Amino acid sequence: MADNIEEERFPGHPLLPYILILPSVAVIVVFLVVPFLQSVIGSFFRSTAFGTKTVYVGLDNYTRLLTASDYHNSAIATLLFAGFVMVVGLAVSLAIAHLLNQKIRGLGFYQVAFIWTYAISPAAAGAIWALMFAPSTGIVPFIVAALSGGYLLNWMTNGPLALLVVSIAATWNMLGYNIVFFLAGLQNIPEEFIDSARVDGAGPWRTFWDITFPMLSPTTTFLLFVNMIYAFFQVFGLIDIMTHGGPGDATNILIYKLYRDAFLYLDSGAASAQSIIVFVVISMAAVVQLRFATRRAIYAR
Amino acid sequence: MLINIRRWLMIGLALILGACLMPEVALAKKIEITWWHAMSGSNGKVVDAIVKDFNATHPDFELKALYTGSYEETMTKYIAAYRSRTAPSLVQVYEIGTQQMLSSGAVIPVHEIPGMVGESWDWAQYVIPITNYYSTDGKLWSMPFNSSTTMLYYNKDLYAKAGLDPNKPPKTWAELEEHGKKLISSGAVPHVLSFGWPDWQLEQTFAAHDQLFANNENGRKGLATKVLINGEFGTMVLTTWARLAKEGIFIYGGPEYAANAAFQAGQIAMLMQSTSSLAGIEKGSPFKVGTTFLPRFEGYPSGNSVIGGASLWVTKGQSKDELRAVWAFLKYLGRPEVAVQWHKGTGYFPSVNSAVQTLLDEGWFSKDQNYLTAFLQILSGRRDTAAATGVRMGPFVQIREFERTAIEKSVSGQLTPKAALDEAARKADQLLSDFAKLQQ
Amino acid sequence: MASRLWKEGASHVVLITLVLIITFPVIYALIVSTLTYQQAYEFPPRLIPGTELWPNVLEAWERINMGRVFFVTGVVSAGTAVVKIVLSLMAAFAYTHFKFRGRALLFPLTMITQMLPLPVRILPTFEMMASFHWINTYSALTFPFFASTTGILLFRQFYMTVPRDLSDAARVDGAGPLRYFIQILIPLSRTNIAALFVIEFIFMWSQYLWPLIVTTTADMRMMQIGIKMLIATDQIAPAWNVIMAGTIVAMLPPLLVLMLFRKSFAEGIAMQSQK
Repeated sequence: MADNIEEERFPGHPLLPYILILPSVAVIVVFLVVPFLQSVIGSFFRSTAFGTKTVYVGLDNYTRLLTASDYHNSAIATLLFAGFVMVVGLAVSLAIAHLLNQKIRGLGFYQVAFIWTYAISPAAAGAIWALMFAPSTGIVPFIVAALSGGYLLNWMTNGPLALLVVSIAATWNMLGYNIVFFLAGLQNIPEEFIDSARVDGAGPWRTFWDITFPMLSPTTTFLLFVNMIYAFFQVFGLIDIMTHGGPGDATNILIYKLYRDAFLYLDSGAASAQSIIVFVVISMAAVVQLRFATRRAIYAR
Repeated sequence: MLINIRRWLMIGLALILGACLMPEVALAKKIEITWWHAMSGSNGKVVDAIVKDFNATHPDFELKALYTGSYEETMTKYIAAYRSRTAPSLVQVYEIGTQQMLSSGAVIPVHEIPGMVGESWDWAQYVIPITNYYSTDGKLWSMPFNSSTTMLYYNKDLYAKAGLDPNKPPKTWAELEEHGKKLISSGAVPHVLSFGWPDWQLEQTFAAHDQLFANNENGRKGLATKVLINGEFGTMVLTTWARLAKEGIFIYGGPEYAANAAFQAGQIAMLMQSTSSLAGIEKGSPFKVGTTFLPRFEGYPSGNSVIGGASLWVTKGQSKDELRAVWAFLKYLGRPEVAVQWHKGTGYFPSVNSAVQTLLDEGWFSKDQNYLTAFLQILSGRRDTAAATGVRMGPFVQIREFERTAIEKSVSGQLTPKAALDEAARKADQLLSDFAKLQQ
Repeated sequence: MASRLWKEGASHVVLITLVLIITFPVIYALIVSTLTYQQAYEFPPRLIPGTELWPNVLEAWERINMGRVFFVTGVVSAGTAVVKIVLSLMAAFAYTHFKFRGRALLFPLTMITQMLPLPVRILPTFEMMASFHWINTYSALTFPFFASTTGILLFRQFYMTVPRDLSDAARVDGAGPLRYFIQILIPLSRTNIAALFVIEFIFMWSQYLWPLIVTTTADMRMMQIGIKMLIATDQIAPAWNVIMAGTIVAMLPPLLVLMLFRKSFAEGIAMQSQK
């Protein structure tokens, strides 16, 4: 964080730095900060769909949300979903990266084979998994029915199942990305540490837990944050394509509920309040991540 | 000499300029209007054909029809456009958006338009149950366009397989339960009945038995402030469905058209679904498809089935010329041959009586009885009570979610029907009172 | 020695199995995209590829006018990626090579951007687009994305490793800061630029929610909404064969970009993982 610039590298250009940062700052202020402030203000009002009338309601939007069982369900679904994506996703990716981190032939091939799924968008992933799990006709319900003697897997009528399916789809979507970063992180661990642990007689598990994993913590923290952002926001396309937040409200994660309230139910006050609540959650996570991340490449999406 | 040249140059320039401007003036510009709609797939193709024909026969006007997504998306986009003053001349809004549109202050009621363009119009030529839905105090606010209702589809082959008469589908819920038990015990199907648009089916059931869904005459005399779904009738309906689910007869099939696949694949024998699915179901089902009226609960009064689908609304603030174009199109849609074209291409009801007559005359309905079923259901029911006409609520979209949740929870046994309905009613009432307060 | 080979062999088996499991969904999608509508609904589900790939692709192409969608999405994705990169390069350069008031605001600014993803400001940003009359324009699809703090931090990280001698030498040679920036610093950043291009291109290509709300017409439609439109069927069961054909075609450009630049992409990430 500390840039040690004692003297100007190019003295005599007082305006240049301002000109250079102006476009970025302008975009951030105009398209990010200003709308955000408008969101804050909007959260204290309630208005008609067509904007013909707006009334000040103070904290009512917030109290309604925080006491609504729908919102609680949405929050829980989001936590479960994000938790699955983060924990299962990182665990699986780390395992695969670990396997890849060997001197074997064809490493290049494998790297490509595992990373290419990064190019698949959440919406495309949603379409593909919707196909696989299509009730009555999909291949996964078929296999399950065959193996279990007729159990009908129908995520359209089974809330928890739907949440599980979208969680799996989302985790699958992020595998490539996670593997790439874990692999890079693993490859940065100096051989000496592993070798010396081996010499000390530590088995592979011990080596992993005592040396590898701690040394990976920058990468892990970073990926946890990125996967969280993904699970909170970028999966919107996946949910919209697969379940539309259903069945019931089973997959109505926070971002989807926000979209529904804003654009389907035309309730801008409630949507704004939800925006702010999400902001608070993400800010806390961002601050936590900042604390853990000392020097970091932030290849966030 | 110089002055002369300059003078000639000026005159020459003026002539050239004049010549350039003349074409602009001489060529009367077409009056352009836009129409946002939500008809995709094959229905969208019929829309395009109709628009093309309209433009060809009305050279003064140019109608641009735009597919803007689902009904919800179209509504959202319309509102944003209206607020930024870039709204289209015409927009297709689903039936549950009616109250929102009525309260919006953004539209010109359709019944006022003929007067505004100096014409008169006979409103009696339209099919009454349809115009009733979109009228307030007898005055029509939006132009009916694509109207449907629900009916009971059933698999005639499976009926035969189970030893039931394929031409005698159930008339009452009691009969349906009997038939259902037989269908299951004969091994023809594991489950018997599912719903398309389960929320709509609940509303249909209320209207079919002349039961009010909400107060203030179903929201038609004044804004609805309470729903009446958790009374004796509603509880009875959901209790029946829950019992049927327990017996394995009813299986919840998801929202909208999700249950169609199961019916087409022969995994269920009956489907309560929109009439607009008829063409698709007949095409995609390798068996004989039968249709009949919705089953009744004996001992309750008779109402009607509710109109679903969407209608066309006209945006305020258009020029007189644009209004002429809009009105010309609305009139065009009322031509019998156009209405027939729309019906034949999509399965939606023709909105004008003359079209119905044409279809009857050419024997269209006798070619495929199924098309007649839905129509007869609408035409043979009551049309004089608010309950039979259908409910009108501002936050209808959200309330439908609550209905669906109530059905899901009752059917899965998570809550008793009364508790599920109470929960839905509570949430709905709060939204209704919010809406009413904002309108004051 | 033999045990070494065994071990390697076992690793390969495991890895290949994993590759197959992870790639299976896409393989299956590819198979379905070669079937007819009825074949896609066969029960038990059919695993033998059919011959209808090309007709399905054509149908998907026609249904959502993919040519136009490709064009719009391509312009938006590549264009935004380029602008983001340029803006990030400029800002990173300013922050690392100059002392000026407000420099300390860098981190708060990046934090803000990370804490303000679209959903936190979606309605007002949307209304802003409406009031600018930017609905259905390239502007709405691109401007809000132009600032990339990822990019700024990335290049800043990199520039901090560039030895001071370089800029000193340039100054001695009489080059001004812009000359130095354009002729020396940017070429040095090639790998990071390529890596960022991959990330930003894929990010923009995958955009769903924003295009959903700021575009209403078919000719400004972006790819992911195109996929949604393919699936949206009114009254019939979805035509999976056509949907999959379209989805797979939609996946190709980002895949192409990733494959083209994957060396730089991997290098860039590796570079960043190191101290």
